[in-house]
Amino acid sequence: MRQELAQLGGGAHALAIQILGNVDDAADAVHDSFASVLSRPEAYDQQKGPLKPWFLRVVRNRCLDMIRRRRGDAVPVEQLADPSPNPEERAASEQRSAMIAAALATLPGDKREVIVLRDYLDLSYAEIADVLGVAQGTVMSRIHRARLALKEALGSYDE
Amino acid sequence: MTNDNRIIDEHVGELLSGYIDGELTQQQRQRVEIHCDTCAECRQDRDDLTALRNDIGASQLSQYGEDIWRENMNDTTVRASRGIGWILFIGGVLAAAGVGLYEFVIDSSIELYAKLIIAAIYGGLAALFISVLRQRLAERKTDKYKDVEI
Repeated sequence: MRQELAQLGGGAHALAIQILGNVDDAADAVHDSFASVLSRPEAYDQQKGPLKPWFLRVVRNRCLDMIRRRRGDAVPVEQLADPSPNPEERAASEQRSAMIAAALATLPGDKREVIVLRDYLDLSYAEIADVLGVAQGTVMSRIHRARLALKEALGSYDE
Repeated sequence: MTNDNRIIDEHVGELLSGYIDGELTQQQRQRVEIHCDTCAECRQDRDDLTALRNDIGASQLSQYGEDIWRENMNDTTVRASRGIGWILFIGGVLAAAGVGLYEFVIDSSIELYAKLIIAAIYGGLAALFISVLRQRLAERKTDKYKDVEI
């Protein structure tokens, strides 16, 4: 389980960054989730599905708890962008990553979340519905709206 | 206009995302393909969203790799055992201090003035220790460099 969790760490961190808007808080959320899962590994029932969506749900719940504790979900959007000060010096793919992170930062939290779950973490619609606790029928429209919004945001960065 | 033509002419909207993600039924997939054959706008959206999806999949939204998370997990175990160690240590020290204090108070061989002087010295040291500890804990919360390894 430890090996599998370590592999999920990066993706979970990316999701937590989109929810919390802060790289360090996101790392804390993933760390706390590891601690919580490892202290009660029996909470995960293999019969109910793969570990990935289950663990992402744990991380998401942890992030929402943190937001509730700090009383407010206003995300300082600039913190979502790649902190690199000099994108010109980076490789083309890294520049694209930075642009995507910056464009994502302009979207509302629910749109960022669903894009990361589908396009970055490659979850199926059923798994996304499970992680978000919503009906599967609403996932496709959410993803589509989020992608159109991201496309528009990226358009303004491309120009 | 026939019913079939109207279905083909209507923009497929969110079905485009379902199509890209491979989440449509055979019938829905065919509808998207037929529509995109004749609608340049939806075809463009389909291509743009596919490229966008590929770009996001290839991007790096977290800079922390697997090794960091493996260490992070080990750190969880280390922190837990360290926490238990601290609880046992502090509990032991408090118990010993309590017993020592009780013995000191009931010891009739020590004069009252001597007891008060010794109590003042130890009480002062305890107050200073608590003050420094509180200050250190407050600083630790805002110390950006606490995890920097030298």
